[in-house]
Amino acid sequence: MTKVDLTPAFLIHRRAFKESSLLLDFFTLEYGKIRLVGRGLRKSKTNIQMFQCLNISFSGKGELKTLSNWEVDDTPRIIKGEALILSMYVNELISRLLFDQDPHFKLFEIYKQFIVQITNMNQQAGYWLLRLFENNLLSELGYALDLSHDINGNDINKNNRYEYQHQLGFLHADTGKISGKLINQMLIEDIENMPDAQQLKVCRDLNRQRLNPLLGNKPLKSRSLFFTK
Amino acid sequence: MIEKLNKTFCALPGVGSKTAQRFVYHLLERDREGGFELAKALVDAMEHVKHCSSCRTLSEKNICNICANDVRDSSQLCIVETPTDIHAIEQSGVYKGKYFVLSGYLSPIDGIGAAELGLDELEQKLRNLKVEEIILATNATVEGEVTAHYISNMAKQFDVQITRIAHGIPIGGELEYADINTIAHALSGRKNYD
Ligand SMILES: [Zn+2]
Repeated sequence: MTKVDLTPAFLIHRRAFKESSLLLDFFTLEYGKIRLVGRGLRKSKTNIQMFQCLNISFSGKGELKTLSNWEVDDTPRIIKGEALILSMYVNELISRLLFDQDPHFKLFEIYKQFIVQITNMNQQAGYWLLRLFENNLLSELGYALDLSHDINGNDINKNNRYEYQHQLGFLHADTGKISGKLINQMLIEDIENMPDAQQLKVCRDLNRQRLNPLLGNKPLKSRSLFFTK
Repeated sequence: MIEKLNKTFCALPGVGSKTAQRFVYHLLERDREGGFELAKALVDAMEHVKHCSSCRTLSEKNICNICANDVRDSSQLCIVETPTDIHAIEQSGVYKGKYFVLSGYLSPIDGIGAAELGLDELEQKLRNLKVEEIILATNATVEGEVTAHYISNMAKQFDVQITRIAHGIPIGGELEYADINTIAHALSGRKNYD
């Protein structure tokens, strides 16, 4: 019998379960990603929502445990438009790439920050924030990229061009698409100084190239839904 | 047979095994005729009720009563998640336009995208019919908001006014008892007072 009392969590997905209940996927601080049943929650008037930090309690014996209590531990937040789409995409990444009940303390804090920062961001800055999140997620999963050195062990020079060699790192090449400056901005996670539109696209493609093998032959649905243009 | 009937009733929302048992014994012991009627009504409905080819709500005809009603204003199109939402809005009696039913909301993690919600049909409708306003009446949930955003993005290519139903303090409700999210939404969606 497990019994957990008020642990920090974000709801990342919910779906109807039987007549009056919900199946809830949480990203929790201490237990990583976990799926719980919210009994009777479909009928309740104030319902549990995504993108706000909660404290949740749960208990149960088998595989599927039950949410016994929850409270909001956050200021109210209204995420709209494009920022909402980016946040849904991040939820799908977490849902797809994290293993159940495998805690990621650092990533939890980064997710929390992401939600707070994305709320008031313009579109361009939002995309940059997303790229930095993907980068952190990949690092947490054990696929960190050396952003300080190239494949040959030389320091990344912000005036050079590079190309990405899968799973190896950056290779200095004058015809490379990736600017040293971009790699530098990724390293220091500079939110204020974001790359220009062209390098932002390069960054997107780089991250896709790194994420795709982990996603296998089932592409992200929110990618085809929201980012087709 | 009794066991099977019991189980079938249990599958209905709000019916537990006790209630199911009561239904079964009532029909078998006291109301065989009613039982036959129920069976016939069920077969009829299951065979003949389909989705309206215009708005996708449940209908026994190819075009539902609301879509077929010329008195209703077809320049307004209210977009809802389920047929029961239509029922709720109809009960209020304030809306005279037409509807479009999504039968759900966008949910990438569950693989539910634009095609599953009939959004290509909706796009065709906006292209071919004289719709002046679409009212996004999806639920006041994150999922409902995402769906509303997606539809509004799609509809921007047409010359159509896009509105969203207001979210806020329930009528007769007191501010101090509303939850903080409701208050935040009510404040951000405030209107000029006249
Ligand atoms: Zn209809």
